[in-house]
Amino acid sequence: MKVAQLSFVFRRVLKSLRELLWTHILTSGTMAMTLFIFGGFLLIQENLHGLLRGWGSQIQIFAYLEHSLSQADLQSLLGDVRNYPEVESVRFVSKGEAWENFREALGAQSGVLEGLPSDILPSSLEISLKRPYRYRASVAAVAQRLRGMKGISEVEYPEEWIEKLTLLVVGVQWAKWILGGFLFIATLLIVGSTVKLAILARKDEIEIMQLVGAPAGLIKAPFVIEGMIQGVLGASLSLFFLWLLFLFARYRLPSSLGIFPAHDQLQFLGSEAISLLVFLGWLLGAGGSLFSLRRFLKTWGSGRQ
Amino acid sequence: MIQLFRVSKVYPPNYPALTDIHLHVEKGEFVFLSGPSGAGKTTLLKLLFREEEATGGQIIVNGRNITRLDGAGIARLRQEIGLVFQEFKLLPSMTALENVALAAEVVGMSRRESRRRAFHLLRELGLREKHDARPLTLSGGEQQRVAIARALVNDPILVLADEPTGNLDADMAEETMRVFLKIHEKGTTIMIATHDAGVLKRFHHRGVQLQRGRLMSDSKSAQREVAS
Repeated sequence: MKVAQLSFVFRRVLKSLRELLWTHILTSGTMAMTLFIFGGFLLIQENLHGLLRGWGSQIQIFAYLEHSLSQADLQSLLGDVRNYPEVESVRFVSKGEAWENFREALGAQSGVLEGLPSDILPSSLEISLKRPYRYRASVAAVAQRLRGMKGISEVEYPEEWIEKLTLLVVGVQWAKWILGGFLFIATLLIVGSTVKLAILARKDEIEIMQLVGAPAGLIKAPFVIEGMIQGVLGASLSLFFLWLLFLFARYRLPSSLGIFPAHDQLQFLGSEAISLLVFLGWLLGAGGSLFSLRRFLKTWGSGRQ
Repeated sequence: MIQLFRVSKVYPPNYPALTDIHLHVEKGEFVFLSGPSGAGKTTLLKLLFREEEATGGQIIVNGRNITRLDGAGIARLRQEIGLVFQEFKLLPSMTALENVALAAEVVGMSRRESRRRAFHLLRELGLREKHDARPLTLSGGEQQRVAIARALVNDPILVLADEPTGNLDADMAEETMRVFLKIHEKGTTIMIATHDAGVLKRFHHRGVQLQRGRLMSDSKSAQREVAS
């Protein structure tokens, strides 16, 4: 493209932005709305993941030790368990600590323990697993192996709780792809239709440019650049509204809902998700324009080119 | 300049718009394409600037076979041809000057040069005072002169006009035809499709008559026959 043609393209873009301001605002607004829904979904999904990660870290296996276990056997047992590939950390809870914990848990009723020997409770190991193993099957497998070890009398873990959590994590992951996919296609269709309307408004201009021999690239370029501007603008607008929504959720949503223990646990979209949203806006704008332009030029110029 | 060999055009499903057309137009000729509505005049012009593709035969324009051209080839062809239509096809949002300059700018001429040439042409066509006016504020004849200026801005080797006087009264039609004659005097090949009997009677140039998609008569070959 010659310099004169480049300058022509940019002048066309500026002229169009000025003259068809409302059409562009409408297109950017539509993109902003659809990207807002998409971004909102990302926001919910990201926070839900954070929440699940938090809940997942609370998954622990409790292995109760035999009363007769010697110090040497304990050390060897600790070494063995720490060497499990699934294990993240192991904490030894002595009989004394278990007794204290129990007393604290009973609170005002702790008087019922009076007269009982303080070593009545067994010592135990609190085992945390690495993130990829915090699922039902792997937790059960580790528990099974622990049961077979010498010095361990009993193994317990919150089976039902882990099962629900596993289902939730898998559900969110699937929802991310299915719902995200649907939303993306819907966004593409809506943006495509809006861009088509904007192109139809300038049908005569395109027809005349074709008749006077304008190269296809020169006809398409202003529309594609406008599409990119609309897309990035729409994405920025959607991010602004998402930020407002986030602030509302963070400071106005009653904590009594009980889902999030503290407001500051709510996180806004990370830089990756923000970049994704802006990139999507850019892509939707440019792609939507090209797609509609192609279809429009084909329909309008059937038998022509 | 233009050569058509056994050219035909059939519109789907099976409507023959042109059948077996042979036609040679020399460089610098002025040709009237006449015939009643539906004779195939517009279709023939459309084949020449590749708005339509011939279904049979070969078409040579300025030494280039235009029967099979890609999008870029069509754009290049149109840059060499000036087109004028009955309905003017001017952009109402642009001034007369901008409408004319647009055709030069899209082929890569600088804005300054495009506007200079557009202004020069509008002045030549008697629209000096109207260069800043929007098309809808101009009379039909003036609009058509703006369209002619646009067709000329890239120094075309060929000007094709489809019923250029169709929307004009007799005086304006006469005036518009005189503009075409002036362009022709400078050596540009011109082909005008018209069914305006008055125009055909007053201007004695080569006449090619079409009827139901067939070439019925050609005054040039008739002259040749008389001469021989």
